[in-house]
Order: sequence, then structure tokens, then C-alpha cells
Amino acid sequence: MVKLTIDGQELEFTEGTSLFDACREARGEALPHFCYHPDLPIAGVCRLCQVEIEGMPKLTIACNTTVRDGMVVFTRNERVRKAAQQTLEMHLINHPVDCPICDQAGECGLQNQYMEYGLYESEVEKGDKVTKAKAQVIGPHVILDTERCVLCTRCVRFCDHVTGTGELGIFNRGDRAEVGIAPGKELNNNYSLNTVDICPVGALTSRDFRFKKRVWLLKSTQTICPGCATGCNIRVDHEADRIFRIKPRLNADVNGRWMCDFGRLEYRRVHAESRLDAPLLADGDRQREASWDQVWSRLDALGGKGLFVVSPWQTLEEMDLFKGLGGGNTVVSGPSESGRGDGDEILLSTDRTPNRKSLAWLGIDELAGDELAARARAADGVVVVYGGDPVGEVPAFAEAVAGKTLVYLGTHRNATSDAAQVVVPTSAWAERDGIFVNAKGRLQLIRRVVARPGEAREDWRFLADWQGRTDDQTQPAGLPELRRGVAERVAALNGQDLNTIGASGSAVAEADTGGDA
Amino acid sequence: MRTNGKQHGYGAEMNFRERLYVGEVFRGLWITIKHLVRNIFYMKDMPTVQYPEVKPQYSDRFRGRHRLMQRDDGSPRCVACMMCSTACPADCIHITAAEHPDPTIEKFPEKFDIDLLRCVYCGLCEEACPCDAIRMDTGIYEIVADSRDKFFVNKEFLLNDETNGTL
Ligand code: SF4
Ligand code: SF4
Ligand code: SF4
Ligand code: SF4
Ligand code: FES
Repeated sequence: MVKLTIDGQELEFTEGTSLFDACREARGEALPHFCYHPDLPIAGVCRLCQVEIEGMPKLTIACNTTVRDGMVVFTRNERVRKAAQQTLEMHLINHPVDCPICDQAGECGLQNQYMEYGLYESEVEKGDKVTKAKAQVIGPHVILDTERCVLCTRCVRFCDHVTGTGELGIFNRGDRAEVGIAPGKELNNNYSLNTVDICPVGALTSRDFRFKKRVWLLKSTQTICPGCATGCNIRVDHEADRIFRIKPRLNADVNGRWMCDFGRLEYRRVHAESRLDAPLLADGDRQREASWDQVWSRLDALGGKGLFVVSPWQTLEEMDLFKGLGGGNTVVSGPSESGRGDGDEILLSTDRTPNRKSLAWLGIDELAGDELAARARAADGVVVVYGGDPVGEVPAFAEAVAGKTLVYLGTHRNATSDAAQVVVPTSAWAERDGIFVNAKGRLQLIRRVVARPGEAREDWRFLADWQGRTDDQTQPAGLPELRRGVAERVAALNGQDLNTIGASGSAVAEADTGGDA
Repeated sequence: MRTNGKQHGYGAEMNFRERLYVGEVFRGLWITIKHLVRNIFYMKDMPTVQYPEVKPQYSDRFRGRHRLMQRDDGSPRCVACMMCSTACPADCIHITAAEHPDPTIEKFPEKFDIDLLRCVYCGLCEEACPCDAIRMDTGIYEIVADSRDKFFVNKEFLLNDETNGTL
């Protein structure tokens, strides 16, 4: 432990702590900065974080200094303030200040820090600025405006040290220095949109989000990414029932501060054209919109021993209810080939479904396509498919269900919904509450962010209503009650209370079984 | 309110004279007659304007109906920054931003609608605009239309309109 004094406050830190972090703790807020980032190596290039250390003739940058015993540090005196102010002014010499057309406005490091450290009476003539290339498309998701860049090298360090792909670099010198893409390359790694997050200014912006919304109009909801079995913690930014973007949320145990581009753009499925928004009943060889009464009378009339198929995109609670609803029927999941993709070593899993783990916990077998088709062929009259698209993915399954009563509970129109006699519109991931269990067995909460389209139902309520009609038992009145029931039925949970899971999820409940990610 | 040490208005106790009404009615009429006589003899001092034949003169700073300023080529000067719609207390400016074909402009309003029925003519939009793209200096205060949706004016109208108020 080392003892030092920051702004007259005596504090103790472990050896090796960066002075930047120590000052953050002492001040209750970070020092002004652009280049420092807790998950990237130190660059020390922006010079904004200068502090005065007793005994040193010049000011020193805090981010590249480690705490030493007996240090006396000043972060708020006039000399330090002036330094930050002058440095910021230097950063602005060639800055275009296009805030009105800059997507970063409202969450910009330059704007925000200028509020406190601005000179306000600028000494730079507008006409004297060095101009550089604007709005260059440098990858499938990212757009670069070099004029706005403050040369903090965060994006460069990200591509060098996090993804190891090294697409970006700083070229030229002096006021001609600019960030750019290495010749013949494209910023197309799986994590390119994280550079947009860490860019403190509007130099790197998202092509998907470009000009869609001003950031101060957005509201944020914390939830979990449905893209793969890693279950990155995210924040969904939305306004008036429309999602505009997704940002990663810090969870050191799951995703740190990053998330992949695939997951980040998954929100688009929520607002897809093909969303089911009304119940449908087959009428001859067409489907027509029906009332809920008609749907219920159709569902009540189902009989025989059927096959119940649930997809790994449903939540733990929904799977449990569906399994209960299946009762004496065969309840399986499948085809096990669906929801697979290329993974990488960083976050993205080869298992592109958010909740496969729960299937194992609930004892629901996952079947390969041909086996699933065989079960469907053996089924007596009824096949209920909940999520996924087995008809579209497994031709043999499509043949097997032909002539049987196919009931589809799902969010999007697809081959399965087209083949179904009864279609019940359910909620997409961002429209319901529930629990996803990631590949490592971590329980994480998904949250309702936006309203459901049209007549789409909240999944668990629909399942509970259906269950109530088949066995006359009282159904859980709310999610907390349902979760208590789930905790009793799932042995792997070890009696864990599902109602106390916090925003960062609950640590591994069972012994870590590795998972398949 | 004039009090005379007496309570006036709703719930005040009336004295006997007031409760007879007739006297009070004539007291009210007397005020009317006073004005009538004065207006007959000093007609020039009357504040009434013979609207609509004669239009009142307002100050140059009067906030009339909005207009959108044009660039030299007639396209809107607005860059769709949403400052005005953010500042608007009536929430009546609806802008859809889009990518401009000219890369030196980048952003422009694909749609720019103002709901004039909701507008409270506070001028905050004009105040907030960093590009001097929206102004309320048209002096137009007669904003009339024969249906509600006509008060929902669009970009083309705000850029070019010379109807002087009739929508
Ligand atoms: S980077 Fe920040 S200061 Fe620069 S134009 Fe964008 S919002 Fe304005
Ligand atoms: S583009 Fe952004 S992150 Fe990269 S060096 Fe410039 S300011 Fe820093
Ligand atoms: S004048 Fe006021 S109410 Fe009307 S559009 Fe402008 S900001 Fe909104
Ligand atoms: S404030 Fe001005 S530039 Fe910005 S959107 Fe409104 S009219 Fe356009
Ligand atoms: S944050 Fe220390 S030099 Fe940039």
C-alpha cells in the first residue's frame, strides 16, 4: 500500500495503481481526458490529464504515472486548470465544430469538457483551419471524419490490442496528422462499432445510427443481447417505442466494455417488416386474421398426443411454462443445427442463441433436424412450434407436419408460420421480461424496452392462459410468482432466488459446466 | 382589484341597496354610457382598428408565422440539427434528417413540418437555431385555413410560401 495526498486528502492505494484512477477516486470525477481508457494500453498523447506533483518542475500527465508513497498531488489549482484549458484550446485549433450535423453532439468529450475547461473567447480564426477529409466510409458499419479527430489513438489501440486486426493508424505529422485506414484494409472486424463508442468525439460514427436521432432524445434501458450465448450486457437506446441503437454496458464478468457488431444490430429484427402482429387461422389454403376467441376455441379443440417444439430464443420462464403445457406430450427443442454461426475468441459465440443452457437445465432434449422430423412424423395430430423456423430449416420436418395441425407461436412471419393452422404472435426479445442463461450458466435479466406490435401477446401470460384452460389450475399471477415456481422445478438452480437477480446478472448458479461456447 | 375596505367579488356580502339590483344595473349602464359619449365626441382617440380593412401595425420584433431561410440555390439552410424541435415547448416541430447528396452539406431535413395549431409563437425555435435557418419575421399573424390538417405545414411551404397567412 502506498499513501499519497491528492488535493489535501490523504489516501491509500495498492502499489501500481495509476495516478489517473487515484485522482478519480479522490475527486469523485475523472480528470479531463481523451486518450485514457481503462481497457486499453496507456498512450499519454492528449495531455489533458496534467496534474501538479510537488517536487516536479513541470506538470505531469496522471494517466502515465503510477502512485508513489508520499506523493503530493494537486488537481484543482489554477496552474492545472489553465493547462487543461490551454490544451483543450489546442485540440480545437483545427476542429471543425460541426456540432449541428455531428452525431456525437450531446455525448461529445470536446463539448462536455469545454463546458468546464473552455476558454470561451477562442483565439483561432475560422478561416485558418486545416481541412481534412470528411465523412469517409471506412467499413461496413463505421464512418470517419478526420477533421473531428483529436488524435487520441483510442481506436488505433483498440484495433491493435483488443481485436488484434490493426486496421487503423495515425498518418502524417503535425497538424496534418490524421487517423486513417491502413492501405488495402477496411474496418470490418466483428467489433468495429466499439471504436465508435470509445471515440471521444464525432470522428468515428455509426453508419447505422447516422442522422437517425439526436442522442439527448433517447432513453436507455438495461438488458441483455440476444445475439449469442455469451449474453453481453447492453443498454438499449430508444424513443417512443422505437429502438435506435445498442451500446455495451460494463460487466467485467461477461463482456467487459465491449460487444460485437452482430449483436449490436440485432435490434433491427424487432422492427422488421415481417413481424407477426395479429393471430392468424388457416382458412382453406390461406390464412386470415382471427379474433382471440376463435383462436382459443381452436386451441381448446386440439387433442391427441402431440409434439411440442421450443426454440432456444425463449426465456427460462417461458421454456418452463411451455414444458408444463406440453404435459404428457413430447417436449423437445430443435433443430439443433439452427442458431449456429462463426464465433471468435473475443466474445462472439458459435452458438448464436441466447438461452440454450436453459434447455439443458429444464431437461428438454435438443434434437437434430432429421430426428426432429421423425418425432413429428410419429406425433399424433398436433405439432406446436414455439419460436424458431423448423419448417423452413428442415425439409423433412415440413413434410412430416403436412396434414397435421401445426400451431406456431412466434414473432416473425416465416415458413413455419406460413404452414401453420394457428399462428399466435408473441413478443420479440426487447418486448418482454425474462431470464436468459448464458453459456457459462449466468442468469441475466432481459427487460421490456418497447411496446409489442398490434395484438402480439406477452409470451408467459399467453402460455399461462393456455395452461389454465387445459388443467383448470390457478396460474401464476405475475413474473415473481412464476419465477419462484421455476426455481423449485429446476435442480440446476440450487434453489437460487430468481427474483433477486440484479442488473449485472447473477453469478454462476451451478458448478461451471463449461458450456459449448 | 379595488377594495374600498370592502370585500368585492364572489361570496361577498351584499348590502340592502345592492340586493335591490335596480340601482346596480344603472351603475353598470352608467359606465357604458360614459364611454359611448366620450367616443362620440373624441372619435380620433378610439383604439379600435377597422380590421380587416385597416391592419394594425406591429413592432418589427413581432413573432409571426415561421419561414425557413434558403441557401443561394433555394434549398433550405437548415441542417436538421433538431435544436429548434428540442427547444420547442409545444413539441410541434417534426424533422426527419437525411444524408444530403452534396458531401459538404452532409445533413439536411428531408421533412420539416410545423403544426401551427400547437405552436405558441414563443420564438424559442428561432432563438435556438445555430444556422439562422428558421425565422419568425414574416409578420404574418392571420393564419387561417378551413381544416385542421392544413395547419400542418411542410418544408416546401415554409421555404417558399407567399400566401400571407391563408393556408
Ligand atoms: S466532435 Fe464534438 S465538438 Fe466536434 S463537431 Fe462533433 S459534437 Fe461538435
Ligand atoms: S478517430 Fe476518435 S478514437 Fe480514433 S484517434 Fe481520432 S478521436 Fe481518437
Ligand atoms: S415558436 Fe415556440 S412553439 Fe412555435 S414552433 Fe417555435 S419553439 Fe415551437
Ligand atoms: S435549429 Fe435551425 S438548423 Fe437546426 S433543425 Fe431547426 S431550423 Fe434546422
Ligand atoms: S488522458 Fe492522460 S494524456 Fe490523455
